[in-house]
Amino acid sequence: MKMNKLEVLSKDEIEIIHSASIKLLGNVGIKIDAEDCRKLLQDNGAEVDENSNFVKFPEILIEEQLKHVPDSFKLYGRDGSFNFEVNTHSTQFGTIGTPVRIYDPSMKRGYRKVVLDDNIKQIRVVDSTDHIMASHIDVWPSDVNYLTVHTECIYVWAKNTRKPYGAGCYGRVASKDMIDMMSIIVGGEDELIKRPRLIGFMNPTSPLHLPALMTNGLEIFAKYKQPTIIAPEALAGTSAPVTIAGLLTQTNAEILAGIVVAQLYNPGAPVFFGTVSHITDMRSGNSAIGSVETGLMTAGIAQLARYYNIPSRGLGAVTDSKCFDIQNGLERYQTLMFAAQAGINYITCAGTYEATLAEALELILIDDEIAGMINRAFNGIDVDEDTIGLDVIEKVATEIKPGTTFLSEKHTRKYMKKELYMPKLVNRNRRTTWRKKGEKDIITSASERVEQILKDFTELEIPPDMDKELKAFMKMAEERTYDYFRKAEGIGADSVTLPDGIEIREDK
Amino acid sequence: MSLKEKMKELIIEWDEDGLREICKSAIESKEASAAELLRIIGDVLRFIGEQFENEEIFLPDLIGSADTVKTIIDEILDPAIRASGEEKETKGKVILGTAESDVHSIGKDLVGSFLFSNGFEVYNLGVDVPASAFIEKAEEVGAQIIAMSSLLTMSMDFQRKLIKELENRGIRNKYKVIVGGSPTSDEWADEIGADGWADDAIEAVSLVNKILNV
Repeated sequence: MKMNKLEVLSKDEIEIIHSASIKLLGNVGIKIDAEDCRKLLQDNGAEVDENSNFVKFPEILIEEQLKHVPDSFKLYGRDGSFNFEVNTHSTQFGTIGTPVRIYDPSMKRGYRKVVLDDNIKQIRVVDSTDHIMASHIDVWPSDVNYLTVHTECIYVWAKNTRKPYGAGCYGRVASKDMIDMMSIIVGGEDELIKRPRLIGFMNPTSPLHLPALMTNGLEIFAKYKQPTIIAPEALAGTSAPVTIAGLLTQTNAEILAGIVVAQLYNPGAPVFFGTVSHITDMRSGNSAIGSVETGLMTAGIAQLARYYNIPSRGLGAVTDSKCFDIQNGLERYQTLMFAAQAGINYITCAGTYEATLAEALELILIDDEIAGMINRAFNGIDVDEDTIGLDVIEKVATEIKPGTTFLSEKHTRKYMKKELYMPKLVNRNRRTTWRKKGEKDIITSASERVEQILKDFTELEIPPDMDKELKAFMKMAEERTYDYFRKAEGIGADSVTLPDGIEIREDK
Repeated sequence: MSLKEKMKELIIEWDEDGLREICKSAIESKEASAAELLRIIGDVLRFIGEQFENEEIFLPDLIGSADTVKTIIDEILDPAIRASGEEKETKGKVILGTAESDVHSIGKDLVGSFLFSNGFEVYNLGVDVPASAFIEKAEEVGAQIIAMSSLLTMSMDFQRKLIKELENRGIRNKYKVIVGGSPTSDEWADEIGADGWADDAIEAVSLVNKILNV
């Protein structure tokens, strides 16, 4: 049989948490900053307190909107040849993180600031992997104006990978920019909507708050039907109750609110039921992402997502370690295996360490290796007459010729690749061979492969006309000011006025 | 398809019956002599060995092909070569076994398959082999190498015993003695006065090549 799913909540406990979240949404509500978003909810039966900006969600509104949420969708790479389905029963792996530094052994401290060239390398390495299906704007380049990171990164994406791309939906301007550039690259808005390339990322702010920047961005992603992860990053003991039951209840309410808003913007908008939640370390006040409780929370969210029949997204391969020590390995494997066993449908954060603040291209390959092992584990144990192989057992056991093992049996040859995961990086040599080949640890082996991948990579072509169009778009974006963004997003202003030239497409 | 290509396909597919048939008919029709067929087999095994080293195929692919070939050599080619009075070409003769008191065979058998695949004639005596049996076989076939394996720590001492026994019989210099197995090491080989040590089957091939200078 296939591997059983890990469960941390009973059916009754899921119902209890669901009811408590509904109660929270109905009685307390969610603070929503954007006036137009509050208005939209009000028009659909929500109760708005214009003093506090809290919006109370009636149960019927939630129930009705949940009916529109798709239980599966596909994501495509630039030319569409690479694609994969996200649903409520399979497991896919992705990156995501916020690294501002990158592993660099030539530096005294072992790392340096991220530059745009690292984005290119990161995307290329992800492109080469077998199991990591998408990269996101994972590393944050320090040599790019932060107001144009999104346009620079989309341009980099177009040239360097056949896989989908992800980005935070931080506001309507940046989100629309990315949609516009993607549309140029893939051949139009209709094509982008029909075959989505972009994975949005929307963080409710715990406790119970949807900031304007997030709902503004969500509106764009929903209208253009780019699948969006709705994932609170609640920290047990600081931004959520220290109890995991309390955290799950609160974040469930936050996710449901985000999903309802997305469906009101565009019924049927694809979303992920997500989590980035973890704990507060009670000695330092720091967040602790590699904790065992992260695994429990992620597993709880996986079960809640299944309860609502929505694809889930959770943390895996995350660690608080600042170096490549055993903590790094145990936390990344622990969180990854928890998420996988719990049945999270999109597991993210491959390639990161230091609570996703640091990136190592080597870790992307190591996480790809772990993902391969996990996929093998999922397939479980096949039991039938042929896999049991009574004949072959008898044959080998009763053979008197010296040198007889199962190795030279056709049964072995037939099943070895299906039964045994063939690792690419894990070293199983005897000491002499290992020594002869340079006594390499896994990071060194991974570094060499990274180097080879980057050496072999051929940049994808962009036709000259398209390039011109993209460059012109990027130039336009470069000229925007910080104030322009604030005004466009309605941050610190009473109402939102879209600057000239920004039009949001209505539902199709 | 040439005879060589046909044989290569059959060996890769572990088709013992097919290989038997083709060898028999080649000898009968005088298309190729047994010695020539053996050379073709050597070339094919070298090709498979290279594929294995380049990680294009896996261990069972290699061992299964070697086993297929071994059966046909024992059954058809060796008797044919003997009957014709020709000298069989070999890179060297190796007596192989697991030391007395130890019944572990897999690692030792892998060494046997690898040596065989690399053109050595291997006499695999099995497990729990007393020193006298190693020596008698070596004397009988005129071997150059005696290779002994131990997995159990306690059986390691029988490796030392074999070397002592060769000395007692005054024939220590006639043979190169090599040892291996999980608990052994190059230090251990030095300590007992062995001529070499290998960590795994691939290393064993390099070691024997080096010792025999082939």
